[in-house]
Amino acid sequence: MSVNFLEINNVTFAASEKNKVSNVSLNIENEGDVICLLGPSGIGKTTILRTIAGLEKVQSGKIFLKNKIISSKDIHIEPEKRNISLSFQDNCLFPHYNVIENIKFGAARNKTKEKNLTIEEVVKFLHLEHIVDKFPHEISSGEAQRASLARSLLSKPDLLLLDEPLSNVDQNFKEEIQVKLKKILNELKITTIIVTHDSYEAFYLGSKCGIILNGQLRQYDDPYNVYHFPNSVEVVNFLNRGILIPAKVTGENTLENNDLGTIKGNFIKHYPKGSDVQLLLQPEDLEHDDKSNLKLEVVDRKFRGTNFIYTLKTLSNLLIPVFVHSHHIHQHEVDEKFGIKRPINIDHIVCF
Amino acid sequence: MEFKKINIWYISSFLISLIVAIPIITVFTSFFDATSNYSSIIKDTFLYDYIFNSLFLLIGVLTLTFVIGVGCAYIVSFYKFPGVNFFKWALILSFAIPAYIYAYSLTAFFENFGTAFSILKNLFGEGNYNSFIPKFDGMLGAIISISFSLFGYVYVLTRASFHYQSQNLIELGKNLGFSRRKSFFKIILPSARPAIAAGLSLVAMETLSDFGSVSFFGLSTLTTGIYNAWISFDDLTLANRLSFYLLIFILGLFMLENFSRKKAQYHSPTKGGFKSKSPIILKGHKSYLAFSFCFVVFFLSFIFPVLQMLYWTIIFPKHFIDLNILELFFNTILLVFVSCCLLISLAFISNYGNRVSKSKILESLTAFSVSGYAIPGIILAVAFITFISWLDNRIINFLELDTIKPIFIGSILGLVLVYFIRFYSLACNGIKSGYLKINYSIDESSYLLGYSKFKTFTKIHIPYLKNSILLIGVLIAIEIIKELPITLIMRPFNFETFATTAYIFASQDLLEAAAAPSLFLILIASVFILFTSKYILKD
Repeated sequence: MSVNFLEINNVTFAASEKNKVSNVSLNIENEGDVICLLGPSGIGKTTILRTIAGLEKVQSGKIFLKNKIISSKDIHIEPEKRNISLSFQDNCLFPHYNVIENIKFGAARNKTKEKNLTIEEVVKFLHLEHIVDKFPHEISSGEAQRASLARSLLSKPDLLLLDEPLSNVDQNFKEEIQVKLKKILNELKITTIIVTHDSYEAFYLGSKCGIILNGQLRQYDDPYNVYHFPNSVEVVNFLNRGILIPAKVTGENTLENNDLGTIKGNFIKHYPKGSDVQLLLQPEDLEHDDKSNLKLEVVDRKFRGTNFIYTLKTLSNLLIPVFVHSHHIHQHEVDEKFGIKRPINIDHIVCF
Repeated sequence: MEFKKINIWYISSFLISLIVAIPIITVFTSFFDATSNYSSIIKDTFLYDYIFNSLFLLIGVLTLTFVIGVGCAYIVSFYKFPGVNFFKWALILSFAIPAYIYAYSLTAFFENFGTAFSILKNLFGEGNYNSFIPKFDGMLGAIISISFSLFGYVYVLTRASFHYQSQNLIELGKNLGFSRRKSFFKIILPSARPAIAAGLSLVAMETLSDFGSVSFFGLSTLTTGIYNAWISFDDLTLANRLSFYLLIFILGLFMLENFSRKKAQYHSPTKGGFKSKSPIILKGHKSYLAFSFCFVVFFLSFIFPVLQMLYWTIIFPKHFIDLNILELFFNTILLVFVSCCLLISLAFISNYGNRVSKSKILESLTAFSVSGYAIPGIILAVAFITFISWLDNRIINFLELDTIKPIFIGSILGLVLVYFIRFYSLACNGIKSGYLKINYSIDESSYLLGYSKFKTFTKIHIPYLKNSILLIGVLIAIEIIKELPITLIMRPFNFETFATTAYIFASQDLLEAAAAPSLFLILIASVFILFTSKYILKD
């Protein structure tokens, strides 16, 4: 018997061989928790959602919802009997009903007397007021996605599954909707699994994040740990926030890199002195200092609004990203030299 | 695993497809049965005539329907001239005229001392007009009659294809420096090719299975050969064998088209990228030419046979008065109503069964069963009778039960069942094409909103497909109103419809008496067409 709200126990998900995700185990402990699944396109994230919703059958393992088995090799509860709502990535509104009628389908499904959103509230929060009378073919894909989200939210399911819920939504609405969505899911205690390829969205919305790579759940942890303590090179490469550079462990808290010199910090895992390792260097790990004698060549500069990300080349041709606030007055052009503060201190050292 | 897919929908769909497939299987299985002496006589004498005439008729009809159908579709889709909106729907009224009624009109107008003679006599006085009034009989008459009654298929499908062609495609031609003529032959026509091919395929099947007009003109084709083999020589096997040849012929045409098309794609379903066309406004003589072309086609295909039938009905009122119109109307509508209900509901169940079970076996059986449309009505009726006789002799006799022949042969039930087999593909494919527009994730959304399969069917699919259902219902109704050979063979004794009454008079050389039932037939079919012209043109 499961004690978690949702328990996925050693399940192999597969709509086809290409989208197979094997031996996945993860739990959602409490009702109302929101978790996010991250991974590259075509890896099988949607298959996981479809299987939990009951649209696909599991190949092996068991899925429990509220202590009740809903999927296993022998048991398959039909999707209409699971009280699980899935909001598809593509427009799947009923084409012969207008937006408000589509949304009402969700409200009609909610048979509980628990506190829930009203249709008016959800329409307002998702900025759907101007399209309620329109038919699905008359609205944009982002609007359709928001209408679909509204329908799902109103159905007050036991488990809400959102497949790239905001991927087509305009950037100007996106952040606002993320904030409101998080608030609503929290207030209504709707347990949710969100699939997304946007790591910022996942880190913001999810209390936990699962990283799916090469047909496996590679890491399932809270967002801070996923970002700062990735458990494999694959996860580092997928998150694409830093680079791995070669280094030699020289002491309890020190490493040595040929180009950057001594690097100090706290190892999160013990490595014997003299070990050759790959050190994860993230953009915020290095600090700019024009007075430093460690100068690297600027090969690229990306302006990201609040910050710049410089790409610097070392003597051994490593390309290192460095984060600098955009209000920093010392701007450097390509080919100029860029000073790095020494000694280099990293709060936690992640090596592989 | 297939057995895991079996549920009530699967079983229903399987049984429906099986019932429809029975006559087709009968045709195929009786291919190797022994035939009578008539078979060798036919082989030595008429067989080549049958084949040659069928082929010649087919080529003639396909050429003429292509020119008329594509020509009209192009003109009304790409140009603006006085009357264009009228012609857009008026041209589909030709669906209301069966080829055999067109044949009666053609003969009545051009025959010696016919309507054309009367007109000339009234205008210019007595004269030897018969010698220079052209005669449209035999092969030429059949080609014209069938073409004007069937070009609507090519027109409707091609027009829909032109209608959904994006302006981007036209602009692409301009961008490449193509002239209007070059754009038409290099871009517009090739991209409408599947629609034109689909229209011509329907025309080909209808032509090869036409019985009314070819028998009226005394033309020996495979269809009349089949009829003679069965009626005159009681050789069902030969009839089935000739049908088999006919089927192979039709199948060959389909394969040839598919093969030549290879992997080329003709549709780009771009939601945001579609730009509707702005038609070119025609002025001066070009405008008159476009108008004249459409008007001539409309006149010849609809007005001419209607006027001819009306003329005869007026000048021979006795036949009209003698006609029991109410009874004929009731009989016709009864058949239409019962058949439509049966066809649409069962085709719906079959399609839904296919959709929810996702079974390859079921899909193949359905695909096989819908090929019944390619089998001439005569053969379906004969195969049905053969099957019932076999069932009665082998199974019912063995079980020592009462004979079932009167229930199925010469009864409304039997007649409706053969209509069902004949027009099942129309209903099934119509609903299928509607279903293709419903993304499967719509069903999944419905399940996830707590709707069962049955509720998804009733609450989501039926409301969504209501326009398609209406359209299919009307198309079936028109086909049944015009249908001749099955009704002739399967109807109960003394049970007549407008179509059978017209045919019986015409076969007795009483063309003037055939006018009133023909006129009523056209009237009812036209009402149905006008009622749904919006949907016909859209789909």
